[in-house]
Amino acid sequence: MNSFDNLSRRDFVKLCGTIAAAVGLSDLFSIEQIANALESAAKKPPVIWLEGQDCAGCTHSLISLEDPTPWTFILDEVSIRYHETIMAAAGSLAEKSKEDAIKEGGYILIVEGSIPEADDRFCTVGGRTFKDILIEASRKAEVIICAGSCSSFGGIPAATPSKGVPVSKIITDKPIINLSTCPVHMDHITGTILYYLLTRKVPPLDKHKRPLMYFGSYIHDNCRRRAHFDAEEFLTDWNDPDQKDWCLYEMGCKGTETYSDCPIRKWNNGISFCIDAGAPCQGCAEPGFYPGFSPLYKSI
Amino acid sequence: MAKRITIDPMTRIEGHLKIEVEIENGKVKDAWSTGTMARGFEALLLGKDPRDAPYVVSRFCGICFSVHQVASARALEAAFGAQVPPGGAHLRNLIMGAEYIYDHMLHFYHLSALDYIDIMAVADYQGKDRELNNVKGRIMELVRQNDVYPLLPRYKPDEYCVSDPEAAISAVKHYLDALRMQVRAKNMGAIWGARTPHYQSIVVGGFTQYPDLNQVARFRSMLDDLNVFVTEIYIPDVMAFGTGPLLPLAKAGLGAGHLNYIAYGSGAGALDESGNRLFKPGVIKGFKDPSTMKIEPFDQKKITESVHSSWYKKDAPKHPYEGEQVFDLDRENAYSFVKSPRYENTPMELGPFARALIDQNPTILDLIKNQGFRPGVVARHAARALETKRLISAMYRWLDELTEEMLKPGFKIHDKEHWEPPAEGEGVGFFEAPRGALGHWVRIKDHKIANYQAVVPSTWMSSPRDEHGQRGQYEEALIGVPVPDPENPINIVRVIRSFDPCMACAVHLIDPRTNEIRRFTVE
Repeated sequence: MNSFDNLSRRDFVKLCGTIAAAVGLSDLFSIEQIANALESAAKKPPVIWLEGQDCAGCTHSLISLEDPTPWTFILDEVSIRYHETIMAAAGSLAEKSKEDAIKEGGYILIVEGSIPEADDRFCTVGGRTFKDILIEASRKAEVIICAGSCSSFGGIPAATPSKGVPVSKIITDKPIINLSTCPVHMDHITGTILYYLLTRKVPPLDKHKRPLMYFGSYIHDNCRRRAHFDAEEFLTDWNDPDQKDWCLYEMGCKGTETYSDCPIRKWNNGISFCIDAGAPCQGCAEPGFYPGFSPLYKSI
Repeated sequence: MAKRITIDPMTRIEGHLKIEVEIENGKVKDAWSTGTMARGFEALLLGKDPRDAPYVVSRFCGICFSVHQVASARALEAAFGAQVPPGGAHLRNLIMGAEYIYDHMLHFYHLSALDYIDIMAVADYQGKDRELNNVKGRIMELVRQNDVYPLLPRYKPDEYCVSDPEAAISAVKHYLDALRMQVRAKNMGAIWGARTPHYQSIVVGGFTQYPDLNQVARFRSMLDDLNVFVTEIYIPDVMAFGTGPLLPLAKAGLGAGHLNYIAYGSGAGALDESGNRLFKPGVIKGFKDPSTMKIEPFDQKKITESVHSSWYKKDAPKHPYEGEQVFDLDRENAYSFVKSPRYENTPMELGPFARALIDQNPTILDLIKNQGFRPGVVARHAARALETKRLISAMYRWLDELTEEMLKPGFKIHDKEHWEPPAEGEGVGFFEAPRGALGHWVRIKDHKIANYQAVVPSTWMSSPRDEHGQRGQYEEALIGVPVPDPENPINIVRVIRSFDPCMACAVHLIDPRTNEIRRFTVE
């Protein structure tokens, strides 16, 4: 891509390798393939990012990757035409940017947050209901990526009085990819966008429309505490240094029922993830999160 | 002739906010602030295991999640009779500190600074600095592609924007550097928080992750990087803006609003769970200048919430634990999902500047006395930057204290004896969150949550009018603000963003169907 011009070819290929490794695409594509695809793109692919009943946690996750830096992604790889939390413009100027992008069509639509089913007026932007905005923006979208639990499955708002519902309940005629952890995993969102840019295809999905490359196995299957589960060594006291790496099943871990590659990939650039912190997996990637898994700290 | 303009969405904030103003003779004559999204979190918690609450309320907000987790945990600990051991308290403090740092830094550079920099001035940079030329090259490449989203479009820069090419390009470079540094702060939080956003390790009675000394060393090295950035870049940038191109705005007190300030600073010591209060509680009404400023003690019983202008069934103002509200989206003259908290019927400002006054922060008082600063937009940014440095200093202390604790025999992170929910109980958790004073209240019956209530800083400040016609702080702060060109209301967004609005936090209310929530008073 053109904005990489001030990098040498060697640096550029190295960067592509870093990106691919960071977001888990290096097994699927060669670095050359990635470099060629990014370089040959005539213009940056447009992205519209909508926020409905959200907490902006998925936006914050998006800008949590160390390498490539958020700057590389936001400015160099895609053209973010609309994102309320990031964009310079406000009010009608912001809305116009979105309308122009919708007119042009051919964009990736990313949705964070649910849609209130109890009454459309529980979420409005620019004087319009979020539901209307979503329907309009979906028409000319190439693909819809649902960032996080709320837009994928309704998430926590599903169980509130406003009755948040997922995008798939409103939009039924477009390819949808659900990245359902709460918040969205920084690698999952970046990697899925790149996968789409490279192939113009939706990656292979499970029955809940989640990419198999990220949601192909149970957390339990890859858990480094698995041996303690097999040995029936269950943590019951967070203060006991001897127990600190034991299985969290008794503390309410949902890793046996939750699909995600968290134990392999970890979070925040490989630093940690829930189980590493002695905190049980709470099933945030699954439909039914949160009420389906309550009480959170009791064994299932 | 008054002209009415609407800014919706108010971008580069957290959540959904609409601002409407009436402009006459180039100045704002009247203003309305509207929260345009509601979910209804507390209703979800009713009947649940109380220990779920800290995990769930984290989702009020994806930026300031841990402050809700901790306020919730503290309310529950009061109800459970649990005591967080020093180890658990230090670990909580440290990851909350990480959140504070990235929250404040990100607010200045990524949510606010674009209102103060003419980003296109980088084109005129003629210097030789290699890194700055690299920044120029990247921006110019975007311009050449005719695709500078999301940095453009924007409101037209005015005379207060930094337009000197050298200053502008440094600011743009710092914008990019800060983007990398906020990742560092998030990584740091994840060392003991499992992941950022939405930490996992804060539970009722303490903490879940048994720390080791490698993690302490890793945390410290990241904190060192952040300390350098905050000390050498962030604070000098804010001061250079504030005492440079923005000095006229600072002296004019742009966006001051009601001159009433409040901090709870309570609980086991705001932010600092180890006992030393980092921020003091107090109330200042009708601030004029530091020499006559009177700090009254804070008394939570004097808080009331009004639904006068909010989309709830009409009701008289009540103490937050006594009132009942039911959503009423058709109510006439209501215009927001946000309620109107008041202290002795007075609208208040909360957050870094309020804390700085109540703590009598010498640097802020000096800016007022000797540089001619008045309360308002610029003073808020300055207070936020200075506070970040205070946090970092405290975090070094907490790291040392944690290390000492870890070496003691019987080191503990969790109160295991009080882990099971009591049959009955109630409690309150106060906290000084990045945006200001925060309180969570809980009542437990039959081992389950019978009532849950949070009163959040952005609710106070983004609130609509109360029954006395008093505007909320966002609204009041806009009165008199110059808007020479209604097509380009840059001063309005400056004022609103200076509060760092967090609207998903501000609106998180109750069950409209059952009207089941009954409030209670915490003595």
